[in-house]
Amino acid sequence: MRAGRIFLREARLGFAGGGGPAAPAAFFLACLTLAPLAIGQSPETLQAAGPGIICFVTLLAVLQGAERLFGEDVTDGTLEAYALSGMPLSIVALAKVLGVAAATMWPLPLVAWGAGIAYGLPAEAAGILALSLTAAIPGLCLITAMAAALAAGARRGGLVIALIAAPLAIPLMVFTASAGRASLAGDPAASANLMLSCASSLFLVALAPFAIAAALRARLE
Amino acid sequence: MISYLANPKRFEAFARIAIPVCGGLALLLIAAGLWFGLLDSPPDRYQGDTIRIMYVHVPAAWLGLGLYLAMAVASFVYFIWRHNLADVAATALAPVGAVFAAICLVTGAIWGKPTWTVWWVWDARLTSMLIQFLLFLGYIALRAAIEDERLAARSAAILAMVGLVNLPIVRFSVEWWDGLLHQGATVFRADGPAIHGSQLLPLMIMVFGFTFLAGWMVLYRMRSAIMSRKAGNLQRIREAKA
Repeated sequence: MRAGRIFLREARLGFAGGGGPAAPAAFFLACLTLAPLAIGQSPETLQAAGPGIICFVTLLAVLQGAERLFGEDVTDGTLEAYALSGMPLSIVALAKVLGVAAATMWPLPLVAWGAGIAYGLPAEAAGILALSLTAAIPGLCLITAMAAALAAGARRGGLVIALIAAPLAIPLMVFTASAGRASLAGDPAASANLMLSCASSLFLVALAPFAIAAALRARLE
Repeated sequence: MISYLANPKRFEAFARIAIPVCGGLALLLIAAGLWFGLLDSPPDRYQGDTIRIMYVHVPAAWLGLGLYLAMAVASFVYFIWRHNLADVAATALAPVGAVFAAICLVTGAIWGKPTWTVWWVWDARLTSMLIQFLLFLGYIALRAAIEDERLAARSAAILAMVGLVNLPIVRFSVEWWDGLLHQGATVFRADGPAIHGSQLLPLMIMVFGFTFLAGWMVLYRMRSAIMSRKAGNLQRIREAKA
């Protein structure tokens, strides 16, 4: 119940502040527009590279908001208020991250679906890719939140966040992009990869909140 | 053992003996291993003389992984029991491990060029080692970026433990992503090592030599770090008095 309230509060703040869902979506679209200009417009190349590029750019779009995620909470006392609320800090962290993710990241799979079609994927393959991105985004948000909680307030925190989040994002990159590629090739492994994206994300939902809570608690002492 | 050494005075006494012993053994074993490996062992039937790169490559790979495990264990000990020495150990281990991972990658590339005709392939084992290297860099960068020393130690310890949990998943997903080109486990196998004795002997000597080399560097760095912390404390006291 109170976790639900934190979810709603953070979702409202995420929706209203800093460009809301439009900022990551616009950044996402801009990167996806530049990629064909960089790698060439040959339809075969674009079709083959499309799922991978879309996945990779999703990671970038999630990372660009990471530095803001805990930065203000640490300085303005919100973190102390949450810690005093009597709820486990891990539940608070999960509610907060998923709230922000739900409010700001929902356009990404839609844009990804359109971009997949523009990259020459069949509608079905683009759909599978968008679905597995939907599954992966909560996981990616939790990974970047973990990195952001560890590096909040550090010098050049954005760089450090990207560096420590990258190795953690590998499984999601592999499974999500593979789902799109396998679906393009008509390979039944597509649904297996989709399931593995869901599994990786669920694994992070189960464990990442504890790491985030530990990182935040280190700041409160 | 760990709680015995947690006392800095006992550690100092231990390090004073262990540092020269590790150093001496490292020099001796590496010299012997190089002699056997470079001069006194036959070239490989298929790989010719390039096999000799393995005598550096394999020990470096083992240490790249082993030192990360040691760093994660030290981080765990620091996180649970707050032994400062464990944090000193983790800090000392990180750059040493990163260098061994880098040596493994570079020697692997030098070996790959004549054998596979390319410097690099995106194969599961190579990619995992590259990721291992990135994990060390992330740890070092996070430590360097946070100014408050105690917060830096706590955050870095959490990162090292998270990286350790992540490691098997990365292995699995990277192997899923790619079929294997790199040869599989050759030394540690249920049916005995699949490597000839004339190659196994210098390899084992080099593995032990490199391990002592790493121990030497880590203990030396730990001792220096403890001394510099002490010096910092003394300076702070003097400034407070003045």
